[in-house]
Amino acid sequence: MSRFAGKKGKRGPGAEFTWDTDPGGEPDTAPTPLYPAYVVPYARKISTKEQIAVDKYRQLREAHHEGPYYSVIDASASSAKKGSAARANFDPFTGMPSYSGRYQKKHRTIPKISGVGRDYETRFFPRELWQIIQPNFRPDASLDGYQAQTNAVSNKRGFEDEEDEEDAAAKRRATGGNEDEGDDDQNEGGLLDGDEDALESIADDDFQDDDDEMGGDYDAEQYFDDGGDDYGDDGDGGGGDEEAY
Amino acid sequence: MLSQYAAELCMLLIEDHFGELFARIFSILQRYERLTLPRLKFYSRLNDKQLRHALAAMIQHHLIYHFTSLEDGNTYYEANPQAAYYLVRSGKILQLVEERLGEYAARVMEAILYLGHASVKELEGRPELRSRKPMAPNGIKHEEEEPQENGMDMEDGPATTNGDHDGEDKPAPFHATLKALASHGYILRVRDAHFQSPADNFLEAQRAVAARSDIKALKGKKQEEAIREKAQELVQERTNGDLTQGLMFNGLPRGVKRKFSNGLANGQRQNRQNGVNGDHAEDEEEEEENEWSEDEDGFDNIPMESGLVVRVNYEKLDVALRNARFVDLAQQDAPSATAEVYACLLRRVEYITPRCRDSEEIPREKEEGEQFSTPISVQTLLEDIDPSLDLTGALGPMDPSQSMNRRGKRPLENGVDDHDDADDDEDEASSGAMRAYLVNQHLGLLSQPPFDLASSVTLSVGPSKWRVGFRGLARKLRHLELERMIESRFGDVALRVVRVLQAKGKLDEKRLQEISLLPFKDLRQTLASMQRGGFVDLQEVPKDAQRQPSKTIFLWYHDADRVCSSILEDTYKAMSRTLQRIKHERELERDFLEKTERSDVKGHEEEYLTEGELERLQRWKNKEALFLAAVARLDDMVAVFRDY
Repeated sequence: MSRFAGKKGKRGPGAEFTWDTDPGGEPDTAPTPLYPAYVVPYARKISTKEQIAVDKYRQLREAHHEGPYYSVIDASASSAKKGSAARANFDPFTGMPSYSGRYQKKHRTIPKISGVGRDYETRFFPRELWQIIQPNFRPDASLDGYQAQTNAVSNKRGFEDEEDEEDAAAKRRATGGNEDEGDDDQNEGGLLDGDEDALESIADDDFQDDDDEMGGDYDAEQYFDDGGDDYGDDGDGGGGDEEAY
Repeated sequence: MLSQYAAELCMLLIEDHFGELFARIFSILQRYERLTLPRLKFYSRLNDKQLRHALAAMIQHHLIYHFTSLEDGNTYYEANPQAAYYLVRSGKILQLVEERLGEYAARVMEAILYLGHASVKELEGRPELRSRKPMAPNGIKHEEEEPQENGMDMEDGPATTNGDHDGEDKPAPFHATLKALASHGYILRVRDAHFQSPADNFLEAQRAVAARSDIKALKGKKQEEAIREKAQELVQERTNGDLTQGLMFNGLPRGVKRKFSNGLANGQRQNRQNGVNGDHAEDEEEEEENEWSEDEDGFDNIPMESGLVVRVNYEKLDVALRNARFVDLAQQDAPSATAEVYACLLRRVEYITPRCRDSEEIPREKEEGEQFSTPISVQTLLEDIDPSLDLTGALGPMDPSQSMNRRGKRPLENGVDDHDDADDDEDEASSGAMRAYLVNQHLGLLSQPPFDLASSVTLSVGPSKWRVGFRGLARKLRHLELERMIESRFGDVALRVVRVLQAKGKLDEKRLQEISLLPFKDLRQTLASMQRGGFVDLQEVPKDAQRQPSKTIFLWYHDADRVCSSILEDTYKAMSRTLQRIKHERELERDFLEKTERSDVKGHEEEYLTEGELERLQRWKNKEALFLAAVARLDDMVAVFRDY
């Protein structure tokens, strides 16, 4: 059998381009369309009313973003503690602080509660948060019920793992370095950390042999970072940090 | 406990407004329900300082409930999905307040939303509320602003009545505005119970009631019932933050007249005249306001109690938004004058409706009784309706309307009307009666099917009153929404089938075909595709114990409740996907957007950005607006299916 026998019935090449065929139409040999024609639904145009509503929404959102409560989980920075997730995600190309960076919008990692010119209605908050909203609130001066409560909390601190402590230290350093908030953090931290100090001293016993003390001597990054040195003595918040920088 | 997508949506909304930290805490609380601080700390892997500060701020914004147990002294935190969801409605709320009460009221409202809850004293001290001009112009047209400000001037006192019109340095009418908001019910007094979840409130109330001696005396079932009843009352009492009492003036909230003269009416009038006679219209209003300000300004300038803590009353705002929705519905196939008359009726009803419905859940289809609003008399409506509103234009001449009456709508007005024909326009009384007749005509138009937007009550004495059957209308809205969706997804054949099924209940295929007058092939195809979409379902009724298919009857039915709830879930999902899409789009443009947000660039965009960049910024804003408007539309659907 000839190899070309099959071609007998077929028209010559280019036959589909004759003048007879409809210029706009599909050629006979065209494959069947994989996807049938599909009518894409279009959304209605935004009405003026909707536009106003959207603008108002954005305005409010903007206000929230500028406000004292907007906070992100980690602002990855070179000041983050080494080995932490923030450090791993650090982008060496754009993350290095540069001159124009001072105009860059800064995100806080902890909402700013006190010192924003608001007076909070203390009675609406649970007692364990009273120190946050009222920095000069003294838990010891209050009723017994509250004392018992803090004890209960501190006893349960066995749950937490060491990352928490590390994060706390890193965070404190990060906020301490930030000039805008430094002073606020101090006065709030000094009063606040009264009880955290006590708690940490309990907790620290468990984590005495932290990995900071063990390795890291040959780590070049530590040269700039003065890595674990201030970890031990930064118990009272921003105060100790200022010296480190 | 929320469904997956609703929870995701709440989380995304919080992230959009307050950042990741709050979102993390919120989603942990949603996943694990209520937690104490140490447990929360353990699950969220955040440190103590972060958590405590974030919790305090979230309580400030009502995003979480807290409850301190008296038994173990622990404080439990719980997510408040309602408050988180309402973040998405904030734009609409502000728009509504602006439309009703003017631009300054919208700013006061925004400040309250921004602060979560705030005392009157604090609000008064906010710098952005001190001047009546907005801090930064935000695309609000100046023509609209002007007359409203004139209105505010009147409130300040007679000395400044006809003074300069752009009083930029004058103190803002803060207290008058706040009172207007309070008397409309848009804000409420914050109570301790608002910070506890409804379940906690109820349990606590139950405990309190059970300890009472008169309840203890009861026994068994009677006691249980009494406890439940009394506990509900107690919860009501404790969560009631109603501020409207004592602020109403002749059944009208404060500041309401101002709204009619220049907010709504002026806008519409100007639209009608295409701005040709705008100035003239304004002058007229000023005279009107002069008359009104006399009885009001003395009271309005008394400041509100400065220790009062207020927050936004979402329930009431839902009522207002629902009414706006009904007006839209009326506008669809009634003339604009009719819609305006209807808006007046609804507004009257709104003042006395604290919430959309009394039950927590939407009652099941067909099990829901109709619940009518308080009837409003035509005379009251006439006081509200803008006197310059042309009521006659939209209606036909007198004789045809009489023939409409003959069809048996309202024979009562016929008598009144006959007199009017003779001495029209001659004396005041008859023109008043004429207008009453016309208002009745307009409302009669609305009471017609298919929507039955209003219905009349005829009392034995006095003129007829009008009321609104909200439950039926809310159901109607749900059905309309469903039908719209079915039509766009499956075509008009499907719509016909669903309507038949809704009217007739369960039908087998043959009967369905007979009623719907469709060829078998079309019908089967549509039914199959609708079943796949979950809009119709099949029930099999076997004739014998063997359940042979040949001896089984298959009945098609459409369960609106189930469809509604599944569509609600789909809507949540669509909303959260849209929000995620915004996030993604933002990420694509991140470098550019970060540049525009730099502290030196922000606010001076024209100065620092090139032309191309400005255009790009505008494009991004338009794109985001498109997404946000889509979310807002989806939220309208959620409102229909869940809130109304």
